[in-house]
Amino acid sequence: MNKRNLILLGFALVVAAQLAVPAWMIMEREWTLRDGQVFKFRTRPIDPADAFRGRYVWLGLEPGVVKTRDVNAWHYDQKAFAVLGTDTNEFATVERLEHKAPAGQAAVPVHVGWTDTKKGEVHINWTGLDRFYMTEQKAPAAEIAYREHNRRTNQTCHVTVRVRGTHAVIEDLFMDGRPIHAWLKAHPGDK
Amino acid sequence: MSKQAIQWLYHELPRLVAQGLLTPEADAKLRAHYGPIEPARPARLAVIIFGVLGALLIGAGIMLVLAHNWEDLSRPVRAVLSFLPLVLAQGLAAWTMFNRPQSLAWREGAGALLFLMIGASISLVAQTYNISGDLPRFLLTWALLGLPVVYLLDAVVPALLYLWGITEWACHLRWEDGFAAGYWPLAALLLPLLALWLRAGRYRVRPTLLLWALCVSVTVAAGVTIERVLPGLWIMLYAGLFALMFLIGEFWYGAAEGFWARPLRHFGAAGVLVLAFLFTFEWPWKEIGWNYWYGGRFHHPAWRAIPDAVLGSLIPIAAIVLLGMTVRRKTPLGLLFGLAPILAILGYALASLTDTYAPSAGLFDLYLLVAGLWLLVSGIRINKQGQMNVGLLAITALLVARFFDSDLDFLLRGLLFIALGIAFLVANIVMLRRKGANHEQA
Repeated sequence: MNKRNLILLGFALVVAAQLAVPAWMIMEREWTLRDGQVFKFRTRPIDPADAFRGRYVWLGLEPGVVKTRDVNAWHYDQKAFAVLGTDTNEFATVERLEHKAPAGQAAVPVHVGWTDTKKGEVHINWTGLDRFYMTEQKAPAAEIAYREHNRRTNQTCHVTVRVRGTHAVIEDLFMDGRPIHAWLKAHPGDK
Repeated sequence: MSKQAIQWLYHELPRLVAQGLLTPEADAKLRAHYGPIEPARPARLAVIIFGVLGALLIGAGIMLVLAHNWEDLSRPVRAVLSFLPLVLAQGLAAWTMFNRPQSLAWREGAGALLFLMIGASISLVAQTYNISGDLPRFLLTWALLGLPVVYLLDAVVPALLYLWGITEWACHLRWEDGFAAGYWPLAALLLPLLALWLRAGRYRVRPTLLLWALCVSVTVAAGVTIERVLPGLWIMLYAGLFALMFLIGEFWYGAAEGFWARPLRHFGAAGVLVLAFLFTFEWPWKEIGWNYWYGGRFHHPAWRAIPDAVLGSLIPIAAIVLLGMTVRRKTPLGLLFGLAPILAILGYALASLTDTYAPSAGLFDLYLLVAGLWLLVSGIRINKQGQMNVGLLAITALLVARFFDSDLDFLLRGLLFIALGIAFLVANIVMLRRKGANHEQA
């Protein structure tokens, strides 16, 4: 093989790798959106101070606290798998926390916040599921609406998340039971 | 010999021949020996600079346009859109590789654009699917996918972007309490390129640029890749690192002229002086050494402390070995700056064994004073205004810091400041006069 062909081959491999990464990201998520089990998460009010907002809505999924008997087995910033279940209102719950991904069950990777040994509670952060991207004009409006709704009428907001194994993708954000884009169109002044 | 020196020589030659100091034959022989000077081509340089700037601006622009978040587009359309800039940049890079392989402007520009578009493509996918950031992972993926661009296009701008990427990655990983020592093998991936460039011409612009960037990057990385299980390790590590930089610069890049052409020497010297200044305070020496070993509170596996041991010993040792070679070469500045790691180790031992801080700080008071005086005096001797001023600055910093530590009254402090100001002015005026006189004589 001469030098030119070698370079060509190298370039082709590099190009393929560069294309493969975003392609794989897309495929993985499309699979989850198609085949994943749907979970509805309640959302909780969010901290209003964050320099990077505007382009996305910051989500705070519930539950943020998990009762567990082995509180001491968890420490700050540890990675955990939250095994999901549903309550009587069809909202997602966390059945238990696992150190390793449980086979055959929907479980989302989370990070441990702080632990309360007295109450036997572990606070968790849904680190992979905390952003919902929107255009820069709409995101602030959506966020204000989202915040108002979480506060005022207490939990008329929820997000749907598709979960396939331990892979989770946010599907949509709902306000009063309607997708956020439709809701914003219906409430142009309500910002 | 550097280009400026040859230029100066060629400028002088006709006069030397006219004065009868050189025969025309000697003149011809000298010209044959040094060869013709490559004329500087400012036009070409401008094309390269504007090519790269243009590529960077277009790349940043595309990223911002994508960041606008076109939510009205459907997911498949957005998926295609995430590939579009990347594919175009790849096409441009391919075209450059095969049609303009000689053009530095095309190579640098296309390389910069492709590097940025890799990040843009991944970001857009992340946006479409609400992937919240695992920032270190994103940075690492981006940098690694971009690294081959550096080699395929033989370009420095993608190399600088790569270096930025892995440094940023190490910092974020460290911030999240991760293990960032992977930075070192990642940085080493640039070494073959650097070696190639250095062999082609040690004083060319591109290796020099890369060396400046490496100095900054390595300085940041040395701090974020150690676990700090041994309190105060940074004292020896950084003293060794800056001394090593200076000595390498002094050893293998001695013929370069000017401040910017000698990154290792000047970055290392500045590092040693700033570090020595910090070491004249007592705070770096407090609670360091084995008595304050962090092992008990360290909740990571013990192997994560290996980089501490390797870096903390290898770098100062390398610096000291080079110092030994310097002693034989008898370069006084090398001796001066090369002493820093030995003094740091001495100060460290003093502070950790006796739990007193004043002797170690005092050691560096003395060192900074000697270094400042040396630079000042030798600067005046060899007519180097920059060196003289650095020496003066070191002495000034030391005096000011010590006078603020003490409880002297304002009158005395004021008088000291006035005296230092006068010293600066007088030294510089004298130096300028002397240079002027030299010019007239010549």
